This record gives sequence, C-alpha cells and structure tokens, in this order.
Amino acid sequence: MVALVGTSAGRRLKGVLTYGAALLVLIVTAFPLYGIILTSIQTEPDIRSVDVAFVPTYIETEHYQRIFDESSGIPVTESMVNSLVVALATAFLTVAIAVPAAYALHRMSVPGRRIILGGFAAIYILPTLLFVLPLFIAVVQLGLYDTYIGLVLPYVAFTLPFMVWIMGSFVRAIPVEVEEMARIDGAGLRQLMFRIIIPLLRPGIFAGLLLGFILAWVEFLTPLLFTSDLSILTVTLGLFRSTMDIAIGQLAAATVITALPVILITAIFQRNISEVVTAGVER
Amino acid sequence: MTPQAQVVEVRAGRTRRRGRLIAAAMVAPAVLVVCGVYAYPALSTLAYSVSKIDLSPRFRIEGFVWLRNFINQLTDPHFWQATWITIYFGVMLCLLTVVLSFLIALLLNKTFFGRGLLRVTVLLPWAVPPVASGVLWVQMFHAEFGFLNGLIRAFGGEGGIIWLGGSTIALHSVLITEVWRWIPFATLFILAGLQIVPKSVREAAAIDGAGSWRGFRHVTFPLMLPVVVPVVIFLFVWAMKVFDTIFVLTRGGPTRGTTTLNFLTYRQGFVQFDFGNAAATAYLLSALTVVVIAGLGWMLARSRKLAGT
Repeated sequence: MVALVGTSAGRRLKGVLTYGAALLVLIVTAFPLYGIILTSIQTEPDIRSVDVAFVPTYIETEHYQRIFDESSGIPVTESMVNSLVVALATAFLTVAIAVPAAYALHRMSVPGRRIILGGFAAIYILPTLLFVLPLFIAVVQLGLYDTYIGLVLPYVAFTLPFMVWIMGSFVRAIPVEVEEMARIDGAGLRQLMFRIIIPLLRPGIFAGLLLGFILAWVEFLTPLLFTSDLSILTVTLGLFRSTMDIAIGQLAAATVITALPVILITAIFQRNISEVVTAGVER
Repeated sequence: MTPQAQVVEVRAGRTRRRGRLIAAAMVAPAVLVVCGVYAYPALSTLAYSVSKIDLSPRFRIEGFVWLRNFINQLTDPHFWQATWITIYFGVMLCLLTVVLSFLIALLLNKTFFGRGLLRVTVLLPWAVPPVASGVLWVQMFHAEFGFLNGLIRAFGGEGGIIWLGGSTIALHSVLITEVWRWIPFATLFILAGLQIVPKSVREAAAIDGAGSWRGFRHVTFPLMLPVVVPVVIFLFVWAMKVFDTIFVLTRGGPTRGTTTLNFLTYRQGFVQFDFGNAAATAYLLSALTVVVIAGLGWMLARSRKLAGT
C-alpha cells in the first residue's frame, strides 16, 4: 500500500477512494431531503405503495395547491405570515439589544463584565424547560397566551445570550486603532457608534439578523406551549398539527415549504455562516 | 499637583465615571431581558421544586414539601430509566457525530473536483428546521412504504424493519436523525480546526516515516483535541435538550423507550401538569449536564496544555 503511493496506479486508487467517499457522504446527507421532495410531488396512492419509487416519473403539484387552499383546514398561508412577523421582529429586536451590549462588554469598562459574559455562556447549558415552567405561568397570568408578544419575548430572550456572544466575536475583530483615531479626531461616543462601529459591524449585523430569523422560524417548543389558537399558528407548529392529518403528500409539501426559506438562506450565505462558526474555533 | 492638573484629573475621573454609566446603560437591556427570562424563572422553578403546586382552577403554591419532589424522582424507576436513556443518547450522539464528522472533514480537507458542492450539501441538514427533519425522517422510517425499508428491499433484503416500533430501535432511530442533523455543525467546526493544523507539521511527520494512520494518531489527533472537545461539549449540551425530534418521531414512546430526562420534564409539566415534580426533574437534569460539562471542560484545559496552545 505504502509502496503504491506516488505511482500512477496508487494515485488512481486514491482518486477512486476519494470520489467513492464523497459520493457516499453526498447520498447520506442529501437523501432524506431528496426523499421529502419526491414524496411531495407524487400522488397519494404512489406514496403509499410498497414499491418505493426512487426516481420520479411525473410531477404532481396537487399537494402544493391543496395546502394553500383555504378549505384545507390547516391555514398554511396564515401560519407563514405569523412566522414571518414573529421571526422578523425577533431578529431585529435581538440584534438591536445585542450589538450595544456586545460593544460595551468588549470595548468599554462595564462593572461585572466577566460575570455577565460567563452567565450568558452558562445559560446555554441549562435545559430550556427549566425556564419555561414559570414562564408559562407568567405568560398565562399576563394575558400573553396566544399573542405575538407572548412568542417574540421568549424568542428574543432565548436567542440573546448566543447573539451577544456572536456579536462579540465581530466587535473584537475591529482594530482598536480605528477607534483611537476617531477619538483623537474628537468623535463622541454617539458619533463613534453610528459613524464608525456600526458601519464596520455591518457584515456581523447581517449575519446576526439571518441567525435571529432562522432561530425564530424553526422554534417549536415555545409556540407549542404558549399558543393553541389556529389564528396564531406558526409554520413549525402547523407541521405538527398536520401530522395528525392523513394526507402524507400534503404534509411533505408543507415540510418543503417550511424548510425552504431556511435552506435557501443557508445555501446562499453559507460563507457568512461558516465565518460565524469558525470564529469560535480561532478563539 | 498644579491646580490645572487637578482640574484635568477631576474631569478625567468624571468622564471615566460617565463612560462606565453609558457602558452599563448599553448592557442593561440585555441583562434585564436575560434576568427576566432566565434568572427569575430559574429561581421560580427552584421554588416549585420544593412545593406542592395546584394548577386548577388556577396556579397556586399549596405548600412547602421540603425535598419530597426530589425524593419522588430519585426513588422512581421511570426516572432512572430516563436518566440512563439520556446518558446513553448523549454519549452515542457525541461519539457517532464526532467520528463521522471527522472523516467527512478529512475528506473535505483534500482538494478534488466538486468539493465546493459537497461542502454546501453537507451543510444542508443543519438548515432543516428540527420539526421538518422529524417529519422527513418519519417518512424515511415508515415501516411499510418508508425509504429505508425500500432501499433495503432494492438491495435484496427483507425490508420489514419497524424502525419506530420497539423501544430500543426507536431510540436508535431518533439517534440517527439527530446525528444527521448535527454532522454539518461538527464537520464545519472540525474542518476549520484542520485548516489551522499546519500542513507542514503533518508533512514533517510523514518524512519521519509515520504512515497515514500513525500520523493521524500521533500528530493530527492530539493537535485537534482542543477543537474536538468544544464540539463534544456543544453536542452533549444539545443531546440533553433534544425535544422536537423526539416529539415528532415517537412522543417519548414506545413504552418510554425514547423518554429522555428533558422529555420526562415536559411530560410531567405539560401532560400531567405536575409542576412540582417537573421542576425537580429539570433541576436534576441540569445537575447532570453541569457535572458532565465540568468534566469535559477539565479535559479541554488539559488537551490545550498537551497541544501547547
């Protein structure tokens, strides 16, 4: 084996192995996604057939039309609007709170800085249900059950510690000299923030908005526990409500529709997302 | 000190104090939100865990019961069953995900045609909302017309596996789903780490006569430990919190086979509406997580020392 390395036969063997492994990885990661798309474009009898088809011979769009139909029972359009409103509100609020906090924690002297940063990291370790039990009581008592605020508030809070941490890694990447130069030029804190820091943080803020949106879009436990009315149904909860339905094709179509925005965002911005992850490695 | 210097000194002191005040004001919203949604509830849950709680007709703390809720849990075989399932699930999730991701990362670290496409594809499962991944794996696992059994039949097997039918196999089905979901994150993280390990180090090892396995075992792996341990920490924390997948795939069944401590908390709290016991379980789960993470943190400190960074 070792002797082969370097010879052309050895190189060819290595190439075959590499491509074999690549193909295997491709199939394992992508097949379930392919499967759900395939299911969503087949007729119900074909889905339920024991002869599982792996290659589509036709495309049936009926399921997609049905789920957007008013009479389907599951208000898919409405749930998408709900999720969109809640996810956008969450993304903007979280970033708006996280950016100044991250800047102050990393570049100004805040009393108890270490405790705050440590606390934010430690929170992530604990199970969400530990906090949800009293929150459920509070949400009910404050009349926030089945409201947008009752969803956005927990979403923002659950995303915030992580967001402060991510924004912190972007803040630390700004060279201190830039700030010092602005200070020497007589810039006050407000000017420094709006003229220098925020423009420099733009890629980070953008990544943060994407992240906040995705995390709110996919959240399941909060709407499951804090809402019950169909008028405030979110997309993820809609999927669960429809698992009780017997139409597999429609469920598959709804799953594709729910996952699509997030998959598109990830595929388009995979470089930004990789940056966020790798920022953690280099630390 | 001259009077002028004194004036400057006083002013500087004032600006410093003012700067601190502004900094505190900038952090305050975040801290307030976190206190309101984490610190206060955590304390309330602690109070619940030592109380008898009535939920109907409305929420009321009926009385202080000392540690009875905790003793209830620690003497309940169902609690211990859930604990072992949780630990097994956590260990297996970390092990399988890290090994597979390491292999995929090693592959992606090579240069070959189509690497960019593979990189994006590997990232995709991460982008699937957990509930959606639950639904699509239900379709994969379906006993009659699921894709997995279909594949087995296509290769000449029986294909009659009831993936979500028995408690042991259902747990492993949930495990497969979660490993699939976490490979992207772990691969990305490990790949970033691999790209930091300088090629020259590995080449030097190869020149010294280390084969590819020995090079990996003695050079790459020890250097990678400071990257792998954080991944394990993330994965373990995640495994302790798994909820959506279990909810969609099995609801904790069959016969409690997939009821982890987190799911047990949910059942006690929001199915049986027994907030006292749920609170106790939540704290016991937190204790388990903290102990394991502390152990892993210690390993991380050691591995950093060994890797010399």
